[in-house]
Amino acid sequence: MTEEGKTFNKNILIAVDESENARRAVSYVGQLLGGLPGFRVTILHVVPEPEEDYFPSSTEKKEWLTQYRQKIDALLEGSRQLLIKKGFDPKDVAVRSTLRYCPSMAECILSERDETEYSTIVVGRQGLSRSEEFLFGSISSKIVTHARNCTVWVVE
Amino acid sequence: MTKSLSQEDLRQMASRWLPPHRVPQRFRIHSDTSDFFRVEYDDVVILQGKPYLVRHNAKEQRFGLEDEVKFWVKRAIDLKNGNLKIMKLVFYENFISHIGDIEFECFRSPKKEARILDLVSGHKNFMHGYSVQDEKDNLIRILDFIKGKTLAAHVGNIEMDHETYYHEHFPGILDHFFECVQAIRFLHENGERHGDIRRDHILIDRETDDYRWIDFDFNYRHRENIYGYDLFGLGNILVFLAGMGDVLLRDLKREGHPSLSALSEEDLNLVFNNRVVNLKKIYPYIPEPLNRVLMHFSRGTNWFYEHTVQLLDDLGEVKNDH
Repeated sequence: MTEEGKTFNKNILIAVDESENARRAVSYVGQLLGGLPGFRVTILHVVPEPEEDYFPSSTEKKEWLTQYRQKIDALLEGSRQLLIKKGFDPKDVAVRSTLRYCPSMAECILSERDETEYSTIVVGRQGLSRSEEFLFGSISSKIVTHARNCTVWVVE
Repeated sequence: MTKSLSQEDLRQMASRWLPPHRVPQRFRIHSDTSDFFRVEYDDVVILQGKPYLVRHNAKEQRFGLEDEVKFWVKRAIDLKNGNLKIMKLVFYENFISHIGDIEFECFRSPKKEARILDLVSGHKNFMHGYSVQDEKDNLIRILDFIKGKTLAAHVGNIEMDHETYYHEHFPGILDHFFECVQAIRFLHENGERHGDIRRDHILIDRETDDYRWIDFDFNYRHRENIYGYDLFGLGNILVFLAGMGDVLLRDLKREGHPSLSALSEEDLNLVFNNRVVNLKKIYPYIPEPLNRVLMHFSRGTNWFYEHTVQLLDDLGEVKNDH
């Protein structure tokens, strides 16, 4: 698609976590775009590398990561199946999980987008209270504020 | 290799620092501190050849409750030189904490505290010390004992009317607090969080008059705003200092304070709904620049500090105004 010299592709990045909001984001994309030709989706989960301090020993950290990865693999596969059920061709739905040190999850998601070619990022709204958002920050708000060269959908 | 210390060696060393009737006849010696409940008064902990004579467990004041005994934190005497130390043994805990109706995950980490001790070595606004491993690799922190009151106790003990306090004491306190915020900026710039910023975690060093942060072993699982909780802690202290204590709705109601009717929800603390943050409505001589900073910690705010440098910029303006 081209408008005023800008080119947008049909590649969509859905950033998910284990929340219900993330599931809604996947479902929204499925309902909106399932069955339409040309759209390719990657479902992304950034595994925040746990801080060194969080675990008493490196063995516990390793065990935690292994379990977490298994959980996320299942989550990503479930999301992929949801999109396929909504009409996406299996070859157009990819999943990716990546382990990163993430002082800011929003920046990690955005940098993932920067390294790839997605014109659209989709995230679920976290549904934080105002004070919670002020104190601990909101990933979706930060993505909206900092995203460049792409469109952001925040799914309620 | 240091020769192992005999009971007689320890008795001799202890007698240099204790009155004769206080010197134990026999010492229980620990080189493994894994079970910190077993490390008791008059025991000796030997860490890399250095003997520490254990005194009382530390206590932490809890607002309105009996003091909490911290069994993993001991006062101790370094038997080589007689210096009083705080010995923090290894205690891992991981729990869900609540502020208002917000839940977040907290944990205690000896590694974090040991790392920060190295980072802040020689910095006048932090406690000092070092870490050492016992024979079971428990990372023990040996802290210099700071003589002095907490900031909470210092301000809590001031007896005068608020206006006199505000004009005569607050400017000096604010200067010191500004240094404390700069110290937290130093941590943040080095990728560290304090993790448990409270007014009783600043000690006023009686010898130097410096305000010094203590207790860095706490941490929280951050979400998007990595330093948000530290900043919230700084804001709460600032409001406490500017108000010469917490200004509580309950107290205003009891006093029948004339400004009570002028207060709205938006004037209250972002999280604690019984604390007034819009102090200008209670104390009209509080200048606008200060009140603007305070209001960033209120329910009415539409913007929250993300970095200490933002808070320092605003506080700089407040200081210039005084």
